[in-house]
Amino acid sequence: MVQYFQDIYAAVNSAMVGMGVTIKHIWKKPVTLQYPEERQIMPERFRGFVHNDMTKCDSCNICAKLCPVDCIYIESEGKGKDRMMTRYAIDYNKCIWCSLCTENCHTGSITMSHDYDHSVYDRRSLVYEFMDPREGTIPCHRATRIETGWWVEPKEEKEKNAKPAAEAKPAAETDPAAGEPSGDKGGDH
Amino acid sequence: MDILTALLQGLPGFGGMSDQGLFITGAAVMATLMFTVMALCAIVFTWMERKVAGFIQSRYGPMRTGRWHGWAQAVADMLKILGKEDIIPAEADKGLFVFAPLVVLLGSLLAWVAVPWAPGFVAADLDLGLFFIFAASSMVVIGILMAGWASNNKWALYGAARGAAQMVSYEIPLALATIPVIMHVGSLNTQDIVIAQQGGIWHWFILRDPFLFVAFWMYFIASIAETNRGPFDMPETESELVAGYHTEYTGMRFAFFFLAEYANLFLVSLIAVFVFLGGWWSPIPGLDFAPALTFVIKGILMVFLNMWVRWTLPRVRVDQLMYLCWKVMIPVTLLCIVGSGILMITSGAVG
Amino acid sequence: MSTGELKKGGWADQDHVPGIKSELLELNMGPQHPATHGVLRLLLKTDGEIVYQVTPVLGYLHRCAEKIAEGVNYKQWVVYTDRFDYLAPMCCNHAYVTAVEKLMEVEVPRRAEHLRVVTAELSRIASHLIALATFGLDMGAWTPLLYCFREREEILNLLERISGGRMLYNYMVPGGVRYDVPNDGWVESVLEFITMLENKKIKDYNDLLTYNKIFIERTADVGVIDEATAKAYGCTGPVLRGSGVKFDCRRDDSYSIYDKFDFEIPVGMGEQGTVGDCWDRYIVRVREIEQSCRIIRQALESLPDGSVQAIDLIKPVKVPVGAAYSRTESAKGELGHYIISDGGQTAFRNKVRSPSFCNLQVVEKVGVGQMVSDLVALVGSLDIVLGEIDR
Repeated sequence: MVQYFQDIYAAVNSAMVGMGVTIKHIWKKPVTLQYPEERQIMPERFRGFVHNDMTKCDSCNICAKLCPVDCIYIESEGKGKDRMMTRYAIDYNKCIWCSLCTENCHTGSITMSHDYDHSVYDRRSLVYEFMDPREGTIPCHRATRIETGWWVEPKEEKEKNAKPAAEAKPAAETDPAAGEPSGDKGGDH
Repeated sequence: MDILTALLQGLPGFGGMSDQGLFITGAAVMATLMFTVMALCAIVFTWMERKVAGFIQSRYGPMRTGRWHGWAQAVADMLKILGKEDIIPAEADKGLFVFAPLVVLLGSLLAWVAVPWAPGFVAADLDLGLFFIFAASSMVVIGILMAGWASNNKWALYGAARGAAQMVSYEIPLALATIPVIMHVGSLNTQDIVIAQQGGIWHWFILRDPFLFVAFWMYFIASIAETNRGPFDMPETESELVAGYHTEYTGMRFAFFFLAEYANLFLVSLIAVFVFLGGWWSPIPGLDFAPALTFVIKGILMVFLNMWVRWTLPRVRVDQLMYLCWKVMIPVTLLCIVGSGILMITSGAVG
Repeated sequence: MSTGELKKGGWADQDHVPGIKSELLELNMGPQHPATHGVLRLLLKTDGEIVYQVTPVLGYLHRCAEKIAEGVNYKQWVVYTDRFDYLAPMCCNHAYVTAVEKLMEVEVPRRAEHLRVVTAELSRIASHLIALATFGLDMGAWTPLLYCFREREEILNLLERISGGRMLYNYMVPGGVRYDVPNDGWVESVLEFITMLENKKIKDYNDLLTYNKIFIERTADVGVIDEATAKAYGCTGPVLRGSGVKFDCRRDDSYSIYDKFDFEIPVGMGEQGTVGDCWDRYIVRVREIEQSCRIIRQALESLPDGSVQAIDLIKPVKVPVGAAYSRTESAKGELGHYIISDGGQTAFRNKVRSPSFCNLQVVEKVGVGQMVSDLVALVGSLDIVLGEIDR
C-alpha cells in the first residue's frame, strides 16, 4: 500500500520535473537555422562538391584510379606529346565525398569546394562535365602545355611528386564506364 | 438557440416565417457554425501543436507558408490532404471502411451542440447536457473499432483493440470526475453548471474544495486518454503499431480522423473549462465583457496544457494504462465524490 | 505491473471455449516499421499482445562490404568502414586502421593516437546520444530526441572542423590521422562542449527521461538479459555491461593509448529493477557519455606535439603477407577486423565482427513472452545499427 502511494507520488513528481524542463525550452531561442536565408559557415576543411580547375588538370588519371567508387570519368586522345584530354566528368550520383582524389592530386587542380546544395530534378544531370568539347581539347604533356601556354606546376613540386605521376601514365586509357551516361553541361562550377 | 431564433425574426424576410421554419433555419445556421468552428479549430490547433512542439524542442516549427511563422501551413496541409489519392485496400471491408471515419467525426460533432459558449448561447440547451456530451463522444470508439477491423491490417486491428479497451475504460473516470460538480450544481444542464460558478476565480469549481481540485486533474488525465493523445496514444502508438487504426487511411478519410482528433481535443478542453474553470466567467468578478472570448481563451490554454504534456512524457504501456485507470483513477474519483459529498453536508449546502 | 507475470502459455495454449481453437497471429514487424531502427525485419508470432516467437530477418542493407574489401586497397577501404556504424564512424575507422597497423607493424605517432582517441570518443558520445534519443522515441518521448540531436549537431560541427566530413569522416589512415588539429581553437571548443554536456545537458536528459516514472515503468524489469545469456550470445558493449559484466576492450585490451587514461566502466546494477533490463542498458550509455568526456579531457590536456602521420599520405600502403585480428571497443561493442594479406595492393580477405550483429541475436531468446511494446523497448535498448549488421 505504501508502495502504491510512493509510485503515484513518483509519477506526479517526475512528470512535473520533466514538464519544467520542457517549459524552460519554450522561452529559449531555437537552435535551428532558417536554411536558405541563414547558412552555416563551413569550416575550412569542409568537403563539399568536388571541383576540378581545368586550367591546371593534366589528365594524369590518378584521381580516377584512387576513387573507391569510380565516379571520375577521364577520356583522352593521342599518345605522348600529342595526348589531349577530351572529357573530364564527375558523377555525383556515385561520389562519396571521401576526398581521396584531392589528397593525391600533384597539380592541385582537384579540390573539395564548399558547395553542398546542387539539387536537380533528374539524376542524370548530376554527372558534371567539366569540359566543353566545343571549346577544344586540353593538352596533357608538360612540354605541350608549356608550348601552348597552359598552366604548369612549378619544377620543384614536380620532382617531389614525380613518382605517382609516372605510375599513372601508362593507364591513361578511357575509363570503361565513361561512355554510358551523358548528362547535360554542368560547366565549371 | 432562442437568441438565434429571436435574431432571425428581426431580420427582413424572416419575419413572416412560421415557428417551425425558424427552428429549421436556426438549426441549419447553428450546425454550419458548429462545423465551421470545428474545422477551424482543427486547422488552428494543428498549427499550434506544431509550433508548441517546435519551441519545446528548440526549433521553430513551420516558418514558410504565409510568411509570419507559417500560419498558413495547416491550410496548405489540409488542401494537400484533400488532393491525395483515396485508397481502399483490396481486401478491406469496403462498407465499414468508408463508414468508419464518418462515425468518428459524427461522434465528436454531436457532442458540440451542448457546449455553452456564452450566456444563452448554446446550440441545444439540453437538460441532460453534460450527459449528452459524454454519450455522444463515446460513439468515437465504435468508429475506431470499425476502422481497425475494416482495414484488414493486423497493426490496425491491434490499434483498434487497444483503442476500444482504452476509451471504454477511461470514460468511467472521465464521467466520475465530473460528478462532484454535478452534485454541487444539482443539474446536468451545461448553462446551469457555468452560472453556478459566477463570482470570480474562488467560485470556480476547481477551487471550491480540495476534492474538486483532485477531481479536475483526474478529469484532465482521463481526457487525454479519451482523445487518444500522448502519453496515452495507444490506438496510434506510431513507434509500435505504425499508425494504429488509421494505418490504411489516406486523403479525405484520413482527414476526417484528423479533424475528429483535434475537435475532440478542443471539446474535452472546453468541457474542462465549463465544468471546472468557470466557463465564460472571467477570473476577476465584474470583468465579463466578452464571455465567448473568455471561454475560448480558457479552452486554448487547456489545449496548450494538453500539448505540453504530450511533448514531455513518454508513452505508457497498454497494461499500465489499464492499471492506471482501474486501480488509480477510478478509486481516486470515487473518493472525490465521497469527500466532496461529506464536505457539502458538513458545510450545510445540503440539508 | 511487471512483465514477469506474462509468461509463455497464454490464451493460445488453452481451450478456454470448448470447440474453439484460437491461433497465433503472424506479424511482420518491418522492414518498414518505425521502431526497428532501419530495415530490420522481425517476424513475430503473437498471442494477442504477447510475443510467442520472434525471428530477426536480416540482409535488407547488405552491401557486400567485405567482398568490396578484396577489390579496393587498404586506404580506400577506410572509406567503407565509415559506412558500417554510420553513427560512430570514427570508432569504425579506428578499429580498421589498428588492424592494418598491426599487420604493418607501424608505430603510430603519439599526437595521432591522442587525436584518434579524442575523435573516437566524440563519435561514441554522438552514437550514445542517438541511442538515448531513439530509445526515448521508441518509448513515445519525442522531445529528448530533438535535445540529443541538438548536442549531436555540436559534435558533428567539431568533427567537421577537424576532418571535413559531417557524417562519414574518412579521418584515420593506416599510420596516423589525415589532418592535424585545425588552428581555430578546436581544442578549446571541444573542452567547452564537454563541460557543457557534463554539467547541463545530461541533467536535462535525466530530468526529462531517465528518472521519469513512466519511462522507468516501461523499461525496468523489461527485456532482462541475464549475465549467462549475454555471454552465451556473445553480446558486447553496453548490452554486456548492462548485464553487469565489467568488460570493455578499452581497458581489457588497452589498445591505442587507453591505458594512459583514468576512467571507469559503468555496469548495470539493477537500480530500478533487475540487472540487465532495458533501463540498465540505457543508464550504462548515459554514464559512458560522462566517462568519454573524462577521457577526452585527459587526452586533450596531455596532447603532445609532433607529426600525425607515420607514413606518407601520398604513398600507397604496403602490407606484408600475413594475417591480423584486432578488436576495439566501438560505440556498440566489440568491433573486430580480421585481415588476411597476400602482400598485394588489396586485402585477400577482410572479415568484420560487428557488435550489433551479435547483440541482435539475443532478441530471439529474450523477446519471447513479452508484450509487443516491450519488444520495441528491447530492440531499442540494444541500439542496433543495420549498416553494421548487414555490412
